[in-house]
Amino acid sequence: MTSSKPDELAPNAIMTDRIRQIVLARCLEHNGLSERKVDVARGDDAPLFGIDGVLTSLELVSLIVAVEQEIEDQLGVMVTLADAKAASQRSSPFRTVGALVEYAAGRVAEEAGMEAGGHD
Amino acid sequence: MNGLQFLEDRFAAAGSESTALIWQDRTVTYGWVLDAIAGWRRYLVDAGVGARDVVSLTAEFSPNATALMVALAEHGCTIVPLTSSVAATREEFLETAQVTIDINLEKDDSATLTRFARVPDHPLYLKLWASQRPGLILFSSGSSGRSKAVLHDFQNILEKFREPRPGKCTLAFLLFDHIGGINTLFHVLSNGGTVVTVSDRSPAVVCEAIEKYQVELLPTSPTFLNLLLISGALDRFPLRSLRTITYGTEVMPESTLFRLRARFPDVVLLQTYGLSEVGILRSRSESSDSLWVRIGGNGFDTRVVDGMLEIRSSSTMLGYLNAPSPITADGWFMTGDAVEERDGLFRIFGRKSEQINVGGEKVFPAEIESVLHAMEGVADVCVHGEPHAIVGNMVVATVRLTTDETLAQFRHRMVQHCRAHLAPFKVPQKVVLGRGELHGGRFKKRRVV
Repeated sequence: MTSSKPDELAPNAIMTDRIRQIVLARCLEHNGLSERKVDVARGDDAPLFGIDGVLTSLELVSLIVAVEQEIEDQLGVMVTLADAKAASQRSSPFRTVGALVEYAAGRVAEEAGMEAGGHD
Repeated sequence: MNGLQFLEDRFAAAGSESTALIWQDRTVTYGWVLDAIAGWRRYLVDAGVGARDVVSLTAEFSPNATALMVALAEHGCTIVPLTSSVAATREEFLETAQVTIDINLEKDDSATLTRFARVPDHPLYLKLWASQRPGLILFSSGSSGRSKAVLHDFQNILEKFREPRPGKCTLAFLLFDHIGGINTLFHVLSNGGTVVTVSDRSPAVVCEAIEKYQVELLPTSPTFLNLLLISGALDRFPLRSLRTITYGTEVMPESTLFRLRARFPDVVLLQTYGLSEVGILRSRSESSDSLWVRIGGNGFDTRVVDGMLEIRSSSTMLGYLNAPSPITADGWFMTGDAVEERDGLFRIFGRKSEQINVGGEKVFPAEIESVLHAMEGVADVCVHGEPHAIVGNMVVATVRLTTDETLAQFRHRMVQHCRAHLAPFKVPQKVVLGRGELHGGRFKKRRVV
């Protein structure tokens, strides 16, 4: 972990991608149950919650919890994505798929004792 | 001797050869119980036990536990029934109740007496002794925090058994140290019925005892009834002798009641309502498939204040030994149960303390549990609230399945089912599968990519 070779960046990128897959899969699950569908075709830009968002607050809670559970199941890391820390972010981590993925990846990296931002 | 002679009179009236108890597959007659009470009376005098002794009776339902409880009450003592189910908090209970003597009944019903160097001085004991009444201590299993020690004037509890009622052959399902268990014991014996005791409370053992001894009345809890329905035990034991099932101690899920009704169309299903603090109220369900129940009467007054049930009765406890009094200045006990009232009937929603506040909307776990119980493949379910940063609290359902669905598969099915039966805020936001596959924690770093 102390090496600074470029290919050492790979684990974080892989993890972010896995989290993206988790989030998109949970969005698809949500779409199968709700009239208010997340536009997953837009990928990271798909709005979730807020001014342009499609989810109700209860749907957002369900989505976040499902993502947390899936992260724990697939990656073995317990994270809480909705807490005071999330609320204190300058822009909401729940506004789009991409924002949620980025925030979740950061929290997972923190929990796993890795540096969130990669290397200097 | 105090005003409890009527109990022995009633035991005698039952007939000395009549069966009072079935214990360890043995028949115990009313004659035996009366002799045993006399024997224990002599024992207490010889042992120097006095009216100001607080005596823990460590036992399960047994012939001697029954006789000794009557003898101790007649002797004017305060009795603290304790069972093995509270072994973990036993020392705390002995200390809180200021127990001076423990009488432990072993599995073979033999007794061991132990003295403790304590002098009871709680103000409530002083009040009890001034009235020269026997006491009863019950520990209420609070949903959170420390158990509360409930002190009763035992004679007030027993007084209600003066009125003759039908004495049925009854299974002692509720525990010996529970208000429901004590109510079962004295209700049955004061009316010449038979108490059938069981060594464990699994569906198979309970069903076998009902079948073998032709039990007519099963007083139990909704949780056990659900277990009974899913256990398969009913396929082997049709329980044709059962006439009445009473359920209480927690909120009955409507779906469980309907399944029970379908399985036992000829059995009367009655909801009971009681609390350690006030005793068991006379109750009558509107019908076998209704959760509306008439409660009170016979010395129990009821009123609803802010949606919460309050009860006033001569058998209300004297107070808690270790907590502030929940009794209003004019004598009403605040039950903490949220209810709805309609034409003198009550619908009980659950403990106010267990209510979940989801973004300002109030949710009772029992309602959601009932909807989930009705789903195919759900063996058991438990709903609770967890704090959540976005909506204050979220509804969490822990579910045990008989299917091999993944979490996501079940969640999908559950949401579809719940949406059809519940308001959106009542649909659990989190589902946990309770099948032992616990993840996280110990392995969390090892599994990171």
